[in-house]
Amino acid sequence: MKPKVAFFDFAGCEGDQLQIANLEEEILTLLGHVEVVSFREVMKEHSDNYDIAFVEGSCTRLQDEERLKQIRKNAKIVVAIGSCATIGGINSLKNHKDLVNVRQTVYGNKANLFDTYAARPIDAVIPVDAYVHGCPMTKEEFLHVVKSLLLGKKPEIPNYPVCVECKKNENVCAFERGQFCVGTVTRAGCNSCCVNEGTICWGCRGLVDNPNENSQKEVLIKYGLTVDDTINKFKLYFGWQEMKK
Amino acid sequence: MRIISKEDFNKFVNSLIKDNSLNVAGVKSKGNKFAFGQLESAGELRLDYDVTLLPPKKYFFPQRETLVTYDVANGYSAKDPAEIKPTVIVGVHPYDIAALLQMDETFRETKSDPYYSEKRKSSIIIGVNIQNMSKSCFAPQMGCATIDQGYDLMLTDLGNRYAITIGSHKGAELLEKYAQNVTDAIARDIQLVGQKKREIMSAATQKFDFETELIPELLSKSYEENGFWEKHAETCLACGSCVLVCPTCYCFDVKENPDLSLKQGERLRTWDGCLLEDFAKIASGENFRPTRPNRYRHRYFKKGKYLFDRFGFISCVGCGRCSSNCLPDIANPVNLFNDMYHEALNMGVKMVPPSEPEINIRTESKINFVPKLATIVKKVPMTANEMLFEIKLDDGSILNHKPGQFVEVSVFGVGEAPISVSSSPTKKETFQLCVRKMGSLTTKLHMLNVGEKVGIRGPFGHGFDTEFLKGKDLLFVAGGLGIAPLRSLFNYVLDNRDYYGRVTLLYGCKEPRELLFGEELIALEKRADVEYKPTVDWCPENEIWSGNIGVITTLIPQVNFDPETTYAIVVGPPIMYKFVIADLKKRNVPDDHIIISLERRMKCGVGKCGHCQINQLYVCKDGPVFNYSKIKGIPEAL
Repeated sequence: MKPKVAFFDFAGCEGDQLQIANLEEEILTLLGHVEVVSFREVMKEHSDNYDIAFVEGSCTRLQDEERLKQIRKNAKIVVAIGSCATIGGINSLKNHKDLVNVRQTVYGNKANLFDTYAARPIDAVIPVDAYVHGCPMTKEEFLHVVKSLLLGKKPEIPNYPVCVECKKNENVCAFERGQFCVGTVTRAGCNSCCVNEGTICWGCRGLVDNPNENSQKEVLIKYGLTVDDTINKFKLYFGWQEMKK
Repeated sequence: MRIISKEDFNKFVNSLIKDNSLNVAGVKSKGNKFAFGQLESAGELRLDYDVTLLPPKKYFFPQRETLVTYDVANGYSAKDPAEIKPTVIVGVHPYDIAALLQMDETFRETKSDPYYSEKRKSSIIIGVNIQNMSKSCFAPQMGCATIDQGYDLMLTDLGNRYAITIGSHKGAELLEKYAQNVTDAIARDIQLVGQKKREIMSAATQKFDFETELIPELLSKSYEENGFWEKHAETCLACGSCVLVCPTCYCFDVKENPDLSLKQGERLRTWDGCLLEDFAKIASGENFRPTRPNRYRHRYFKKGKYLFDRFGFISCVGCGRCSSNCLPDIANPVNLFNDMYHEALNMGVKMVPPSEPEINIRTESKINFVPKLATIVKKVPMTANEMLFEIKLDDGSILNHKPGQFVEVSVFGVGEAPISVSSSPTKKETFQLCVRKMGSLTTKLHMLNVGEKVGIRGPFGHGFDTEFLKGKDLLFVAGGLGIAPLRSLFNYVLDNRDYYGRVTLLYGCKEPRELLFGEELIALEKRADVEYKPTVDWCPENEIWSGNIGVITTLIPQVNFDPETTYAIVVGPPIMYKFVIADLKKRNVPDDHIIISLERRMKCGVGKCGHCQINQLYVCKDGPVFNYSKIKGIPEAL
């Protein structure tokens, strides 16, 4: 029996589900292994009978928690996909602001109709079995995680920083190019894709388990970044993880 | 020595590039840095470079390399032996040549690595003497700024010409075949080359305040230096940059990469680094080098002491890549060793250069990364978490292991893990593995049915010395799953009972239901020639237990033995050793009468990947069985 899979989205841009819709050739092979019972972005059918739930987006309202808990109840395995779901993502930027103002900015005079609270990754609400990090997640890593689950093993996600992949790819360090990077504390697994293209690591995969953040902040400042910009660099994706400490 | 004009040298390189039977790589610019890369024309060469981002080792030990492919229907096979194109590498600095010569030794020690050595054998190295030294370079301090061996050709820039020193027959032939207008050097040219080399030797700004030969001695006096490592590693990001760019580092990780069919795939190795947090972590979650200072120290010790003792060289060539790639700027070996030296001087420590270690590097065989197919012939559940597997090799061969050795078990699509053999070699047709459900591989293994296939490599490691133990009284002490490796020796002894003296087995686990090999052990109670004492840490109310209650050490005072004639064989979880050994010492058991078996992350099984290292020792190769007297002074052991 093929495992039944379903996709769900919370606060996010749906860019991760788009990566799956864009799998092209691989999607046919993948459909040989699983049966998709719910995927709003590509089909209209829906069923609550599923084994694996892929959840995109962060939890930003109390009401979301109920829906998440129901998904957890229905599924044998819950997989968080994309930064919003795995680490809170850029939605967590609002956590540093006054939430009343945030609601007013977004919804104007209808603000009182819309509830909100601090954005959080889904594992802040329900237990999560596997993570596909990234903003957006890469197709390669999604397939890696799916293959692992189908083979009955825990997906191996690196607990070392992006520097490891950057060095293997023989990139010129962003700092040597006069740029400011947080790849030193960010969980690898993306094959340092952004730095390979000549930019920097923004930290979309979140912090490694045991980062030396103070040292990294000192490095940024030593290389000439202002204290405010250094703090902002850490807020962009690490907001929830930093707050939790 | 020969001379070639730069124009003719470029023609020479271009004719190498034109020859499709060769891969030609050389130093090119990359951003404001340099890197070895495929050459499309000689014009791309930048022989005036200071240092490349990565050393040329990537051509022989690539960042990512397939070791084995598999197909569920046909098993494991070696990488497709497609013909290796000889690689010509143009522009290798002497320090990187020195590093390759070191790596040749590490990759051929005891078991030679076929993937490395095949590529290396077919390669051609065209070196170049340093024209611009990077500001982090301290190669002169390491004696690696110039070199007299390890190259096929060596270039020295003489303005509009290169002087070429021929280093091998292969180099001479290459020049003969592809180069034109090569003349013999005259005395003045030879003098000029000598002068250039002397200039290089004095060009470094990075200098030790002491004789380089002192490094191993300095280190051995600083292992537990109060706060020294913590202070130096305080800002370490554990990013691994220093080891990943190192030309002499060779640690690797092994990963399974199934394809989307889930039926086929490959096993690959990728560069790894001992600075990374999970490097010495095992499936149970225990991390044997958990802190940044622990790992930072290990790197220096491996380079300056452990490899020196094993190979006779300090495993650093002074390229300076570690120091220029470290953002918090704590990886410069010159700064660290100078600090260490001055601290030692202040403390009044006397230092003399170490005597030359006794080196005996032999190659006994080639590493075989391809697992043999084997079939699970029997599965016996032992507890909720442990299962005894009986396994038979499909080719009909016998495992031929020594008690205490381990095998690397492969499960298709999941990977490979070290598991100790639980059966005695006297049982020949099959062997047994007692496996606790712990990580991905063992969990998956538990799910496999009788008749299904696994892969087996090995046996590996240093087992128990059954010959030496003959005639001795044996006191077996097992804790928890430690009974699994211990049983291979215990059963061997029972099968050869007449050759051994008194036999006592003390076995402890947490609670009665966790007891392994229950029926087998209960049967021992009927034997007059074996004393068996089990214990449990506690017994829940709903279980029945008539034996001892208390930790394993509570049994030691209950047995009689003569410490002079008794050898204690102790296997258990890491925490157990200290306590058991202390209690054995109380009973006057000499250190060399205590034999233990250690568990680490034995990834490759052949003493290369570095994961199972405890200080200078590789558990997979020097162990897992150790005589306590040999490792009691080794800080990472217990």
